[in-house]
This record gives sequence, structure tokens and C-alpha cells, in this order.
Amino acid sequence: MIGFAILAVVAVAGALLVVTARQPVHAALALVGTLLSVAVAYVMLDAHFLAAIQVIVYAGAIMVLFLFVIMLLNVERQPGVVRWPWLRPVGYGVGLLGAVAVGATVLGQTRAVPDQSAVDAVLQGGSPERIGTVLFSEYLLAFHLVAVLLLTGVIAAVSLVQRSGDEADAESVPTVIEAEPGLREPA
Amino acid sequence: MNVPSEYFVALSAVLFGLGAVGVVLRRSAILVFLSIELMLNAANLAIIAYARQWSATGGAHALEGQGAVFIVLAVAAAEVAVGLGILVAIFRNRVTTDVDQLSEVRA
Repeated sequence: MIGFAILAVVAVAGALLVVTARQPVHAALALVGTLLSVAVAYVMLDAHFLAAIQVIVYAGAIMVLFLFVIMLLNVERQPGVVRWPWLRPVGYGVGLLGAVAVGATVLGQTRAVPDQSAVDAVLQGGSPERIGTVLFSEYLLAFHLVAVLLLTGVIAAVSLVQRSGDEADAESVPTVIEAEPGLREPA
Repeated sequence: MNVPSEYFVALSAVLFGLGAVGVVLRRSAILVFLSIELMLNAANLAIIAYARQWSATGGAHALEGQGAVFIVLAVAAAEVAVGLGILVAIFRNRVTTDVDQLSEVRA
């Protein structure tokens, strides 16, 4: 129980920083902390394989991609104008209300604490073998569709970021890296 | 000894609420995207918590919840690749990712 309290505090603190941090890099690193504590929660919930996948894919690959793009675009904290000043308190109020409503509803209907031996009998610790059996038998179609989706995503990402021929000639790659974003003319 | 599943679902509700607040309040498109990732994770946490609760009551198919989370993870990875590609393309044309200034699509 004390472990859950620690991980809940870390996860909520990280999520708060994601919403409030001024520097985008800080927000991204705070999200890494939240993702890692969610991985710990997966271990506590007998999903060991998914915990490993969470650390490798989410906290590793996806967040590195985010940090790459944040540094590539050089998005510093933008002063900007606050268009609707009332939006901030209203946003926090609605978020808090939603979280309290769902939390109170769930906590109000207490179920029996899961018996570990019964959980082990079905989930078997969420081992890769058991999840693979599920994915490759009943959910084979979904698994294949995910493969198609990933291929589509790769092609879409390449074609979105690719420059057209004449544009690439006009602006060679090194100048793009050196140029300050604020000084660059919009294409 | 075991932590009740309700606690995990309540934690997931808090994370989801914070993610929703981030989507509404953040102005940089990258940070909006980051908040969406937070919401996806909160949903995954709820699914896994319910999968364990179901398995304790004898649900033989409870492992399918973990299979679903695996597929959500793969979809999230594809979504991040495409979404960040779109952001880079927008930034290249507009030199901003401020969602308040990217309103041409509005009729």
C-alpha cells in the first residue's frame, strides 16, 4: 500500500508538471516520470510484459521522439497573449470536477480486494507467452491491422516531413539546422 | 496486502483529468499532444486495473484486457509518428505551433 502511495504521488506530480511547466522540455521529462510510475503500477497489477513494453516503447522510443521534435523546433516558452483569461480557472475546475466525480464513483463501490492466487491462475503474471497466445489466436486480425497501421504511419511520417525537390535545392539541410526559427522566412 | 483496483482506477481518473486540462489550456501544439499521451496512458491503466479485477472473479478471458492495452500502445506509437510529422510540417510553413494562431481551417 505504501508503494502505491509513492507511485501515485510521483505520477500525479509528473502529470501536474506536464500541465504547468513553462519549458516544453521540462514537461516532456515530467511525462517520462509519470510513464515510469505507470509502468510500476502495471507491475503491481500483474502485467509484467506490458510494464516492460511501457518502459521500452513509451518512456523510451516515444518520449525520445518528442524530445527530438521539441529540440528540433526549438519551441521555447512562448509569451503569447492569453486570449481568454477565464479559461484557465474554468479548465482546472472542470478537470478537477471530472476526476473527483469518477474517483468518488469508483471508490464508493468497493469490491473485494483481488485474491492473488486467483489472479495468478488467470493472468500468470501477464507473461509474454500468455499475451502472445491471446494476440495470435483470438486477436490475430487486430494484430495484423496494427501491422498495416504501423506501415501506414511510417509512410505518412516520411511523406509529411519530406521536402519537395525544388524546395530542397533552395534550402540545403545545414542552413536549416543553423537558422534561428524566428529569423527564418515562412515558406 | 494487494492494493484494491479502485485505487488504480481513481489514479487513472486523476491522470486523465489532468491530461484533459492540459489539452484545453496548453497553447503549444506539442504540449497539447503530450497531454493526449497522458490521457492515453490513464485509459491504459484503467483497462489493466479492470483486467486484474475481472481475473480475480474467475474471468477466463481477463488476459484480453492486457492484449487490448498492447494494441493501444502500438496505435499510440503510430499516432505519435504521424502527429509529430504533421507538427514539423506545420512548423516549416508557419514558424509557429501555437494552436491559437493555427485557425485557418475554421470556416
